[in-house]
Amino acid sequence: MGRLLRILLNSSGFFTFAVLQLVSLYLIVHHNDSQRQIWAETKSVYGSYLTKKVSDRLAFLDVARENEILRRENAALLGRIPGSGYHTYVDTATVNDSLMQQRFTYLASRVVSKSAYGPYNTLVIDRGSNLGVERGQGVVADGGLLGIVSEVTPRHARVISILHLDTRVSAGLDNNAFGTLKWDGRDPRRITITDMPDYVPVAPNDTIYTTGYSNVYPTGLPIGTVESSEPLPGTGSQNLTVVLLNDPLLAATGYVVRDLFKEELERLNQVR
Amino acid sequence: MNTSALVNSVLRFVLLLLLQVFIFNQVRWGWGGRDVLFVFVYPLFVALLPMRTPRPAVILLAFILGLAVDFFSESVGVHAGALTFTAYVRPFILRLIQPRDGYNIKAYPSINDMGAGWMLRYLALILLAHLLMFFLLHYFSIYFLSDILVNTVLSLPASLVVTFAIVLIFNPKA
Repeated sequence: MGRLLRILLNSSGFFTFAVLQLVSLYLIVHHNDSQRQIWAETKSVYGSYLTKKVSDRLAFLDVARENEILRRENAALLGRIPGSGYHTYVDTATVNDSLMQQRFTYLASRVVSKSAYGPYNTLVIDRGSNLGVERGQGVVADGGLLGIVSEVTPRHARVISILHLDTRVSAGLDNNAFGTLKWDGRDPRRITITDMPDYVPVAPNDTIYTTGYSNVYPTGLPIGTVESSEPLPGTGSQNLTVVLLNDPLLAATGYVVRDLFKEELERLNQVR
Repeated sequence: MNTSALVNSVLRFVLLLLLQVFIFNQVRWGWGGRDVLFVFVYPLFVALLPMRTPRPAVILLAFILGLAVDFFSESVGVHAGALTFTAYVRPFILRLIQPRDGYNIKAYPSINDMGAGWMLRYLALILLAHLLMFFLLHYFSIYFLSDILVNTVLSLPASLVVTFAIVLIFNPKA
């Protein structure tokens, strides 16, 4: 403290000078027109530049708080975009007809998650057991098949894609010949129908439909068109290569097919 | 600072103020409606203050004299600021031109003590500092640097001649 005082006293000339010079400058600027104008001009030219520089330098002091504010704002905004909502609007098509009793209902759903493309593709839709989705129900999309429900939670369901090595779907031609549809894991646009009797005449571009025999899909939904047929010698069957109508990998929405007669049909199948 | 020096300083303060305000403020020369040559005699007060005067006192007296000159001129603060600066740099000028063996402890900045050549250089440097600062404050912008330099270059010899003549004529001892 004493040292500081000595420094102040030793440089008292400078401080006197500085104070009186500032007083002079104040008087000059406030009592002379031309100097005042020059001062105002100078201040407006350099003042904003200086202010900007200073605020740029000091901006980092506030960055943590700013960041927190922005993150909260981001969270609030993300909560508002349509993709983050769970669609509670239920779109189920049923028809009341005295001649035709409703067997299949369709429940609109969106794909919320997909596995990376591989031999075992799965996806998740935003409909679950709250709305009657159950294991084994089929999902159709874009005029073709999408997959089969395998796991169900109250709000969501996991769907084994048609492009999954374990998927088996009954499929056939419109002359009622049928086989088993499965994917060989190679081309996502083509699937194979096995166990089709080799005496059945198959021409390229014949349409393949679902048979409805497995109670997963309704009868007669188009799946794809035949590209080629390959008889397997000695087995009495032939393999059909089918080009899918839709691309299950690109599906963003799907309809869960609910078979209202499923329990009844399963009870029949249990009788030996 | 003895009594005669104090009396001399007070007298110089008043007389130089009157001289500057009533005579040399009327002496202006220039062309095209613009004055470029001014004669300043009042820096002589700061120059002739005793060397041992405390620096704050020198600066404060210079400020007061400058304000007094400003009071009779149209400019407020310009003379004061310039003379304050002059008073502040006076020790540096004294150190710059100090004789080889330093200043005598009893020496005054006078021709008797320091010689005419030293006095001329001393006054030239004091006036140079004062005129530069004065015109800088007068134009108030580096943008007018050429005007500042022209005014200083033209006013310096005139002021120097007048102040040195005053010193020669009165030849103050203290």
